Amino acid sequence: MIRHPLIVLAALFALALPAAAAAAGPSEVPRNSLDPRVKLKDGDRYLRDLSAQLEIPREEICKELLQYDCFRDAFRIVLGGVDAADLGVNEPLEQEALTAPIALDRVALRVCVTRVERDLADPKHAVLLRGAGPKGTSPSPAWVKRTVQGLYDRILARDATPAETAQLMGFYQKVSASASPADTKVKDWVTLGCFAVASSVENVFY
Amino acid sequence: MNSHWSRRTLLGGGFSLGAMLAGAPFAARAQAAANGPPPKFLIVLSAFGGANLIDSFMAVRESESPNAAQLNAYPNDLVQTIGEFRAIDLKSKAIGAIPASFTANQSNFVKKHGSDMMVVTRTGSSVNHFVGQQRSINGNAAWKGRTLQEAVALTYGQGHAIPNVHLVNGTGFTEHGTDKSIPTYAFGERAPSPNLWPLSLDGYKGVRGAPQRDLFEAARRLRNDQLDPGSDFFRTFGQSEKVKHWQGLREDSLRGVEAQDLITKLMLFPDSPKMPLTASGLKGSDLGQKVRDAFPNYDFDPLESQAALAFLLLRYGVSVTVTLGPEGAAVFKKGVTLGQGGLGEGDIVNTPISFDFSHQANREVQAVMWDRILKTADRLITLLKSEEYAEGKSYWDHSMIYVATEFGRTRKRPDNAMTFGTGHELNNGALIISPMANGGRVLGGVDPETLMTYGFDPATGRPDKGRTMTESEIYGGIVQALGIPTPGAGLTDMRVMRRT
Repeated sequence: MIRHPLIVLAALFALALPAAAAAAGPSEVPRNSLDPRVKLKDGDRYLRDLSAQLEIPREEICKELLQYDCFRDAFRIVLGGVDAADLGVNEPLEQEALTAPIALDRVALRVCVTRVERDLADPKHAVLLRGAGPKGTSPSPAWVKRTVQGLYDRILARDATPAETAQLMGFYQKVSASASPADTKVKDWVTLGCFAVASSVENVFY
Repeated sequence: MNSHWSRRTLLGGGFSLGAMLAGAPFAARAQAAANGPPPKFLIVLSAFGGANLIDSFMAVRESESPNAAQLNAYPNDLVQTIGEFRAIDLKSKAIGAIPASFTANQSNFVKKHGSDMMVVTRTGSSVNHFVGQQRSINGNAAWKGRTLQEAVALTYGQGHAIPNVHLVNGTGFTEHGTDKSIPTYAFGERAPSPNLWPLSLDGYKGVRGAPQRDLFEAARRLRNDQLDPGSDFFRTFGQSEKVKHWQGLREDSLRGVEAQDLITKLMLFPDSPKMPLTASGLKGSDLGQKVRDAFPNYDFDPLESQAALAFLLLRYGVSVTVTLGPEGAAVFKKGVTLGQGGLGEGDIVNTPISFDFSHQANREVQAVMWDRILKTADRLITLLKSEEYAEGKSYWDHSMIYVATEFGRTRKRPDNAMTFGTGHELNNGALIISPMANGGRVLGGVDPETLMTYGFDPATGRPDKGRTMTESEIYGGIVQALGIPTPGAGLTDMRVMRRT
């Protein structure tokens, strides 16, 4: 992915700063890119990436109304694709569609629901929701923390920062306190944690 | 001019209320719109390939032209006169070399809607399809390059979730204008497949197995307010215009769209094996049966599905302008399969490349395609008339259908031929249907010696053989009839094109 070289470049840029600026410490880096050129993944790339990240075959990862591929059939143009043969749309939209972030959220949510349902159906090969303990019991903070790290490792190929870990652990508290049934709280939290990371700016741009 | 317009006009120079609100959240725009004038709705019904007035409302009888044998003048008995309009009802056993019989009718539409029909002559500036299509909606950059749809969305669309929706694909009728001062919400939003597009209007509803909605919304807030702003990626690239645009869409427009449950309201289909809505926790639109009755081929005919969704977009207050029309692909009657021993009566619903198939068989193609355009317009008008907007006025009372086309067709034919091909011709005109237009009128005329159209006086409508009407003038007449203030635009006052 281009993302990583860009971050490395940004870090190198920070190292090249005068000593006084560099002495500000690692929390100050990376700094704003002087030329922040990024692209939004089109739906096809986005789903291919999620397919690899979450180990769901591309053909099964996202179906609308149980039968229509989310990108090819449902949101191809809205999510930045083209369809010269059938629709005569030869170029991606000049600017993202108003409905693109909605469609992308929908895709991310559907993919994460699928991943967690598969984890529950086959715990031995679980990818995100692993070893939470007996159904209905509260998982330990260590498990919650491990799961957050797993989400970031899987989806963004990096460690979660302490701040991100704390934010998602805080979100676990919110889900735990919700009115949803007790035995679905862990499932809900993993699903929505996956959704939040998978639909983050970092995962939808490159 | 009423007080609303006066207030807007004072802003002048294109610095309109819409522009002031360009960066405002959807709720603020909606509030501003609530205090503004009632909206006007523009339906651009595009006629790809050259919908020729000489083959319809300005047809010429052979007895009227001294050069009839070499020009596209029609046999006298085929040309009807209804008020100021002409109409051609044509039956044929073939469309050029295609053995497909058809019966096409124009007179019924004229008899039914003539009082709202206004035909204007126009001479374009390009016979390139795409360029001509663009100019038919931007008047050849008549007003800073903004399109008719953008002008309507900017004026009336602030309080509408998706003011400007483009349903037709692969044509220049849906190109952005070149006015960079237009706020994002006024740009056309593409709805490329009307049947499935409503699913993109809600990020949550219908996703089986998803956590409760309030938790989903909390996850969105977590992402938007904490995870994204704190990430190294965002701190590095967050100043990118693309990222900022994405964030803007995600936080504002998204709420305006989802809050209205459009995934339900705009769903044309009922629950069925093809669209298992119930199994996904969804359902069809409350007005679904009504639009399906009007457009029964919505499930396979792209134009009917576009028209059905267009009506719902206007009726539910989602949009103020919609653009629809036939596309380039041939459409056959449901169940027809090729290579099974020929085509029956009316089996070809849409000729290949639409009106442009006139290259092969001008009269037949013009007849089939005008019939298709007029039937679509008639059903839309009927639907819009059946729904009250406010104070006893229907949606149709606020609407205009502009049949946009990129150019006309050449006038020559081999001696007295009935079937012949034509090329692209700058000289033509346009059909506008609206209670706001100067209905019942043909503005301009046809020179019987050449069958070329000529112009009219913009104030009185008096035919003027010494002029032709420009794209800019017709563009101006349309925006003025729609009540759009145009201070500083320099557009000609086309007084005769509006009713009041």
